[in-house]
Amino acid sequence: MQNNELTIKELKDSIQYQLKHPYVAKFIPEPVINEDKIVFLTSIVSGVDRLSEEQKRKYVIATMLVQIALDTHELVTVSSDGENEELRKSRQLTVLAGDYYSGLYYYLLSKIGDVSMIQTLATAIKDINEYKMKLYNDQLNIGQMVEYLRDIESLLIRRVAEFLGRTSILNTAADWLVATRLRSENVHFRKREVAPILDLIMKHPSYRMTGGQALSTIEKFVEKYMTLVEHSLSTWPSRFANVKDYLNQHLYHSIMMNHHAVEEG
Amino acid sequence: MKLASIYPFLNQDIDKIEKSLNETIQADHPVLREASTQLLRAGGKRIRPVFVLLSGKFGDYNLDRMTAVAVSLELIHMASLVHDDVIDEAELRRGQPTIKAKWDNKTAMYAGDYIFARAIECLSSLDNAHVHQILSKTIVELCLGEFEQFKDKFDWNQNVRTYLRRIKRKTALLIAASCQLGAVAGNVSVKHEKALYRYGYNVGMSYQIIDDVLDLTSTEEELGKPAGSDLLQGNITLPVLYAMEKDEKLKKHLETLFAIPEDVTKAQMDDVIQWIKETGAIQEALATSDRYLQKAFDNVAMLPQSKAKQAFERIAKYIGKRRS
Repeated sequence: MQNNELTIKELKDSIQYQLKHPYVAKFIPEPVINEDKIVFLTSIVSGVDRLSEEQKRKYVIATMLVQIALDTHELVTVSSDGENEELRKSRQLTVLAGDYYSGLYYYLLSKIGDVSMIQTLATAIKDINEYKMKLYNDQLNIGQMVEYLRDIESLLIRRVAEFLGRTSILNTAADWLVATRLRSENVHFRKREVAPILDLIMKHPSYRMTGGQALSTIEKFVEKYMTLVEHSLSTWPSRFANVKDYLNQHLYHSIMMNHHAVEEG
Repeated sequence: MKLASIYPFLNQDIDKIEKSLNETIQADHPVLREASTQLLRAGGKRIRPVFVLLSGKFGDYNLDRMTAVAVSLELIHMASLVHDDVIDEAELRRGQPTIKAKWDNKTAMYAGDYIFARAIECLSSLDNAHVHQILSKTIVELCLGEFEQFKDKFDWNQNVRTYLRRIKRKTALLIAASCQLGAVAGNVSVKHEKALYRYGYNVGMSYQIIDDVLDLTSTEEELGKPAGSDLLQGNITLPVLYAMEKDEKLKKHLETLFAIPEDVTKAQMDDVIQWIKETGAIQEALATSDRYLQKAFDNVAMLPQSKAKQAFERIAKYIGKRRS
């Protein structure tokens, strides 16, 4: 695990280095890099013998750049009404930064001449935006919303895994990613930060839930997916020992955090 | 004269590209589909596809390959416009409501990302790494140009060099890439590919300078937005830079007047435009544009005689005479 952690840290540093732009950094927060996704991607590429170490590295970095680009665009507010100058500038640069990060993924892969991977990720971006539109626009029930969110959160990893023929851990990865995403929604909501899924649920005409009800509904889904992850981890083959260790550690941490939250009410 | 009358021999191919553009952005989700096709339906000059096709004519012209490149470039341009409208809070584009105005920012972001992805997918059908290297580098430069435009807003101390670097990234490189990609897809000789790239670059520079001049010399009716809009948004263009170089008092006046841009009245704006005109800066900017145009002609001269070559020359002349 020590070696793997070092690799993940190095990948994270490389991604951070790619994202650096002094002017953008002045006005918008540094993008969040989802370490779990790096772990899954690293695990997927690491067993592919036909890829060089450099290709593996570039695949992980490029996929993460796409993820960060899409996540950055998610931060653009629905409307610009009532913005002050600072918020306006931040919204404008958020749009541009997302475009820039997308450009970087494309540039990185084109430099190694990997047209198939460029196409794989482009198709994934297209499909993710179809799902996002459904989630944002259509009248879905909560179960459907969470399912779409699961697809959105895991689709890039799914497509890379399918491209490389390494799909064994996909469902667990998707369950883990939706659970952690939902949990972070709850955290954001409690801190009065942007929590788009909770907003969708509360504004849904069929539910009209209060914040507390929405939080507890989301928490049930988190538990459901975490239980699925726990069960499937026990059946994983030994070649996934690294990622299994990582998830077990975080699963334990997540359970402990939940206990604290319950105790504190 | 209409631009399209310069290249009637491309009409059938342009129709095919138009059809392909429409097919490429037929999303599954009805709102995403309508949003994506909204801008396409509003029309446009399709100058980038035209440059692709004309460049391909100097080599082994294969319409399927040309279409993939042309569609991809036009979609990249469209995706950037969709996102630009979110940045600028624009209500209208080509006389139609923008996606962000008809729906909202979120829908515009999804539509822009969707169109971008379709552009890359479309180009991937060629399985040619070199075309991706050219396009991806251009896209990154384009984004850097946008950052620069932001950084330079209301910076009254910027110089002509800063401006030229900005418009190179903002406009000229994508037009240059259109010519180059058309040449690469058509297996045009390296010598002619370079000439085509430089033609595109110089025409693009000239086009943007004229655009910036027109912002000050056209009427609101001709522009579809108030005259001097660039200045109101903080974009300091070549005629303004030349005018400030010639008249230090004007520079000081602009610094004071635009301290709070929202408070600038139409009458004040008209006075500023008149002041800029009186310095002779408009003529100087047009002379700079002409120098780029001359370089474009010099590059076309290196190409073999053909209908495509004549079309390139006439397009450059058209751009030089453009007054709306």
